[in-house]
Amino acid sequence: MAGRVAIAQGLKLGLLALLDAAAVWAAISLLLRGDLLPLALLAAGALLLNYVVLSRRAYPLRFLLPGLVFLFAMVVYPIGYTVNVSLTNLQTGNLLTKVQVIAQLEGRYYLPPESETFSYWAFRNPQGELRVTLLAEDGCSYLSEGSTLVPVDLTDPRFVRGPDGTVVAFDDFSRLPLAEIYRSLPALERLDLTWEGVHVRLATIREFRTYLRKYEYLRDADAIRDLETGVVYTAREGYFTSPDGVRIEPGFQIYVGFRNYLDVLTNPGIRADFSRVFGWTVAWSFLTVFFSFWVGLVLAYLLNDPYVRGRFFYRSLLIIPYAMPAFISALVWAGLFNTDLGVINRIIGALFGTKVRWLQDPFWARTALIFINVWLTYPYMMIVSLGALQSIPKEMYEAARVDGATGWQRFWTITMPLLWVSVAPLLIGSFAFTFNNFTIIWLVTAGRPAVLGAATPAGATDILISWTYRLAFEGDRGNQLGLASAVSIIIFIIIATISAVNFRFTRALEDVSRGV
Amino acid sequence: MKKFALWVVLALALGTLVYAQAAKLVIWADDRGAPVLRDVAEKYTQDTGVAVEVVEIAYDQIRGQFITTAPTGQGPDIIVGAHDWVGELAANGLLEPVDFGPKLAEFSAAAVQAFSYGGRNYGVPQNTENIAIIYNKALVPEMPKTWDELLEFAREITDPTKPMYAIVFQNGPDPYHWFPMLSACGGYVFGTDAGGALNPCDVGLANEGALRGAQLFADMIAEGLLPAGVSWDTMRALFFGGNAAMVISGPWLVADTKKAGIDYGIALIPSIRCADGSYGIPKPFIGVRGFMVSAFSQNKVLAFDFLLNYIATTETMLALYELDPRAPAHLPTYEIVKVDPDIAAFGLQGQYGIPMPNIPEMASVWGAWSDAQSLIANGQATPEEALAEAVQKIKAALKCP
Repeated sequence: MAGRVAIAQGLKLGLLALLDAAAVWAAISLLLRGDLLPLALLAAGALLLNYVVLSRRAYPLRFLLPGLVFLFAMVVYPIGYTVNVSLTNLQTGNLLTKVQVIAQLEGRYYLPPESETFSYWAFRNPQGELRVTLLAEDGCSYLSEGSTLVPVDLTDPRFVRGPDGTVVAFDDFSRLPLAEIYRSLPALERLDLTWEGVHVRLATIREFRTYLRKYEYLRDADAIRDLETGVVYTAREGYFTSPDGVRIEPGFQIYVGFRNYLDVLTNPGIRADFSRVFGWTVAWSFLTVFFSFWVGLVLAYLLNDPYVRGRFFYRSLLIIPYAMPAFISALVWAGLFNTDLGVINRIIGALFGTKVRWLQDPFWARTALIFINVWLTYPYMMIVSLGALQSIPKEMYEAARVDGATGWQRFWTITMPLLWVSVAPLLIGSFAFTFNNFTIIWLVTAGRPAVLGAATPAGATDILISWTYRLAFEGDRGNQLGLASAVSIIIFIIIATISAVNFRFTRALEDVSRGV
Repeated sequence: MKKFALWVVLALALGTLVYAQAAKLVIWADDRGAPVLRDVAEKYTQDTGVAVEVVEIAYDQIRGQFITTAPTGQGPDIIVGAHDWVGELAANGLLEPVDFGPKLAEFSAAAVQAFSYGGRNYGVPQNTENIAIIYNKALVPEMPKTWDELLEFAREITDPTKPMYAIVFQNGPDPYHWFPMLSACGGYVFGTDAGGALNPCDVGLANEGALRGAQLFADMIAEGLLPAGVSWDTMRALFFGGNAAMVISGPWLVADTKKAGIDYGIALIPSIRCADGSYGIPKPFIGVRGFMVSAFSQNKVLAFDFLLNYIATTETMLALYELDPRAPAHLPTYEIVKVDPDIAAFGLQGQYGIPMPNIPEMASVWGAWSDAQSLIANGQATPEEALAEAVQKIKAALKCP
């Protein structure tokens, strides 16, 4: 017995040691990359892990911790991140941080009118120090001294010549063969030599060239000066901007406070289309949940009847829409509903000699969408209802039958109230999910048909989330992530409110069921 | 304690060593380039000792992944992509301008121009593509030269009950395949300013020429000569099933057309009669594929050496052409492959093409333009109403005066 405890203890400590080793390794690589925030999180996490495993007092935490970690990683962190982004101007053109933009601009060079090219040889000494000799087109030669370039006479006996007459070594430096040059390119590329007021830098594998610096950052003024033209660009609205409004690309990220929220709430176009889109979103969620619930419940009720033969077979068959990936079904349905070529219209055409403008007429497009979504959702409702039906005690029905209740009466007074208690929270969840069901809308209609006269690209079947997508990614210069985050937060608040109200409502139901 | 300190120092030293590793190139390419690039990479490593890693990534993932990873310094040195990514990537500060040097003369000027943004070149072009008519020779006795002839032919053979259509193209909505009709008589997306740069506030999608093409489109649908709401799959099914005599599509459809056993031809999209009585040749968008270098690469000189001296060679370009047969932008290679009738036929249409605008403002165009196309196709709005509204929405989204 004691032996087993010792083995378990050893196993536990061994695993912990392994995890700690991994943490130390990760910490070192994070430290080297300079990612201090992740490093701090890692350290805190590792310490917490050790505490939880080693301390007797923290024993219950062992079971809670994984859940809490995932809650943090999957829910709290993304929400915090979205809120943070919604306060910035993150979008096409404002992706990099200011530090990155300044570094990039300061690293830009341009060719002076009379640019010189040098061929070069690279040398290295045993300490790994790298130096180059440059040969200008006019025959003058130079040697790098630190970051400067000095004229040098290669006939000096200090330079050792090889059999072909070229310099192969000097002092304790020896010349790099071509393969070594390739390997040392990152170092050669970083060389920035000054000579007669210009910069001499590696241009291609075989040449150095003279360059002039394009931009200089003025720390005190928080501005960039163009050294070629002398224009000063001050940091404004996420761009370095000249006095006459010319911007240097790329721009950088800045915090803009609540501007994205204000943009959404005060934009006349968005306000004009909001109520229509919101109305359809609510109708879409409600009707989907309503119809799929009733279809699912009726099927479950039938399949729950012991007199139905082949229940297993039917059940399996009815679950198929749920088992298929939703996006495949959505695409297939979109094809079936095609006005000119779809099967559905072919059948309608053959029977009634007319065709329904599915996906082109707003009413029929909405009908088709709800139909497709009911098709995709009813198996879930059926499974849930089947479970709930089976948990209702049989005695209640027997008692009701003895009292002479009809089938309808039994359904409405026993089945429904008891079913409702367990199913209602799932319906609310389903409602919230459908509210944001971007995939189906996007794959079947992409929010279309378009609405003539809409102020923003809001189609007749656009729900809030797909409309947001179009506002944020099909407007301006593409990815307006700041704006998109702000709208997501607003939608989050709307859904949270609706769900809260719904839960209040279900709690009232629970009280009813207690009275049954 | 002493021992511990020693270990830390050792680990740090090891980490630094790994960090200061020798030069290495990382290339992101899709399956239409990666196999060839792997061979070239091997050769480069043999010649220079520099390791080159070719990572195969799905084409539609490359841009997004690059935008996410490049600023962190973890991204690739070189990516393969389309010229219309350049605006977004360069505006975000993620691309390094290319200095072609004497190699410039070896490339099609139009293809190089397609990769330029803000007056600088950002890509080494590989090949160009555009759409044209692909027709089924068994169903089209003589290819119509003008849209009037096409309409006549369509009235003859169209029968929606079979179904049978003279012409089908993706339009559900799909402005890319619609653009040739609008551009034939002078429609354009963005005009150019005096310096030749695209002007996002000059939108020519509702001018007289564009309206002429749009009206033709509306009339054909109203008359039942053109099915509306056609997707990529529907178009393929109709064409391969012998239910459509011709389609407007690109080189990407050719391989499957051969596989379907269709005796096909490639021809110019029929000309459209303009207001002044002259015939305008439809101008498709030209798409250029090429190689771009990350601004965050630590090995830019190496990357350009690889691109200009190992990729921009007839040998590599031919191998890339074999893998993905589209018109090479590298002129010496084009001279070799232009005997291919398909390349020549698409090239003929491409001569009239317009590079798809590469400025990021293009993002505002697609949605509004698609909406206009679907409104017209559904008969909910006249071409004038729908396109004027689209232009107004585009300008509003771009905050134009």
